[in-house]
Amino acid sequence: MTRRQLDIFNRQDQAAIDKTAERVRKTEATWPLRFTVNGKPVEVAVDPEESLYDTLRERLRLTGTKGACLEGECGSCTVLLDGKPVTACLVMAPQVAGRKVTTIEGLAADDRLHAVQESFIAAGAVQCGYCTPGLIVSAAALLEENPQPTADQVREALEGNLCRCTGYTKIIDAVLDASSSGTEDKANAGVD
Amino acid sequence: MYFQPKNLDEALEIKAKLGADGTLLAGGTDLVVGIRKGRTQVSNFIDLSKVAELGELQEQDGFLRIGAATVHRRLESCAHKALADAAATVGGPQIRNLGTVGGQIGTASPAGDVSVALIALNAEVELLSAARGSRRLPLADIFTGPGKTSIADDELIRAVWVPHGRRSEFYKIGKRDAVAISVVMAAASIGPSNDVAIGIGCVAPTPLRCRRAEDHINSHGLDGATINDAAQIVREDVSPIDDHRAGAAYRREMAGTLTKRLLWRLLHSKGG
Ligand SMILES: Cc1cc2nc3c(=O)[nH]c(=O)nc-3n(C[C@@H](O)[C@@H](O)[C@H](O)COP(=O)(O)OP(=O)(O)OC[C@H]3O[C@@H](n4cnc5c(N)ncnc54)[C@H](O)[C@@H]3O)c2cc1C
Ligand code: FES
Ligand code: FES
Repeated sequence: MTRRQLDIFNRQDQAAIDKTAERVRKTEATWPLRFTVNGKPVEVAVDPEESLYDTLRERLRLTGTKGACLEGECGSCTVLLDGKPVTACLVMAPQVAGRKVTTIEGLAADDRLHAVQESFIAAGAVQCGYCTPGLIVSAAALLEENPQPTADQVREALEGNLCRCTGYTKIIDAVLDASSSGTEDKANAGVD
Repeated sequence: MYFQPKNLDEALEIKAKLGADGTLLAGGTDLVVGIRKGRTQVSNFIDLSKVAELGELQEQDGFLRIGAATVHRRLESCAHKALADAAATVGGPQIRNLGTVGGQIGTASPAGDVSVALIALNAEVELLSAARGSRRLPLADIFTGPGKTSIADDELIRAVWVPHGRRSEFYKIGKRDAVAISVVMAAASIGPSNDVAIGIGCVAPTPLRCRRAEDHINSHGLDGATINDAAQIVREDVSPIDDHRAGAAYRREMAGTLTKRLLWRLLHSKGG
């Protein structure tokens, strides 16, 4: 991790995060927003100038999605928009009208965790865990598109997600474990 | 206020009414960041996400016509190598799924990777307004300064037209491989009559089209000697600045080096 990446993550500005949360609670929700969250249609009144990140956390109480930089740099707020990973902090709430959003809460089916969630636990790919939801969402999108990625393809898919604690090695191992290429590629994955 | 037009006509109508007070919103990767950083104030949003016409990507009259709302991710697999490579280097996957070509041009940053690739491909931009209909002009001509374009207050970017038949290359120097704004970057292309076009980023107030270097090659032919000359001309014509990413002297030197490298690649792959 470079100095600049560390700075971005450390910039996690609790004051800014609290301020947006406060603003969201205070502003009048005037915009009727209809979209699908984790397979369920929802209708929620929002302030049209809030972000999808705010809507998910403050209005729908889906707090699994984390925020740190709120500027698109760290990937901790990653959700799927029509199946594609995006940073929820840069999406304006009204933009998701009529579309499908999947958050970390939507990956597990019934009582069963998603394969990537299982493998993160098994590989010990989590330290403080703050980056984990975003990473898992990005990884799940990769495996959906490409069930047998190489280690390099995994790295590419996760390049928009920063982790401050781990060395990424276990994260990449975990994603390879969850893929159908499994342990075979892991042996050749190498360490950065 | 927040406006969400349902189609192109509605969008144009709102833009005409609001003029400079109406800010177009595409992927938000520049605009929302600008608002967060306190650099940008917006009184009225015109959200283009429901304007389906802007997302069209099609072959038309010997051009690839790229709708303004096409996201970088979709261009990663396009046939123009410089454009595909430039699109693939923008941010990370999340940013490439949001950020659009129209937004990149609208931002008019000298560090716009895709803008530089498009300039070097001789791309044209199609602008549209309710009052005057559409007009098409060379993309390189619309950038007037950092963050400034000659797009009128009642206009929006409709599409970008990239002519077929040019071989192209792109090269970016960043601080690291991913999610890194360019320190210097360049693209070049060669057409059917061996005419070259060169675009360079992060070395001037706008994405730079280096006409003097192009003219030199186009009148003397592309070979080892003219490539060296072109690199020298580029070093003379750029006006880089020092910032936290790199010094001006380094940028000037590398602008020439990248020019050389790209032109050699085009020369070597000639006819191939
Ligand atoms: C973390 C991060 C990393 C990035 N890395 C890179 C990088 O490596 N290389 C790079 O080149 N860029 C990079 N960018 C910037 C890149 O995402 C943008 O330039 C993007 O292409 C802008 O498109 P948008 O759709 O998000 O625009 P928006 O943010 O929606 O809009 C940008 C501007 O364009 C205007 N606009 C939008 N659509 C139109 C239209 N149709 N007609 C007229 N004006 C319009 C808007 O009003 C606004 O002024 C990065 C951004 C982030 C957040
Ligand atoms: S919070 Fe960092 S990318 Fe959204
Ligand atoms: S940021 Fe702590 S585990 Fe990644």
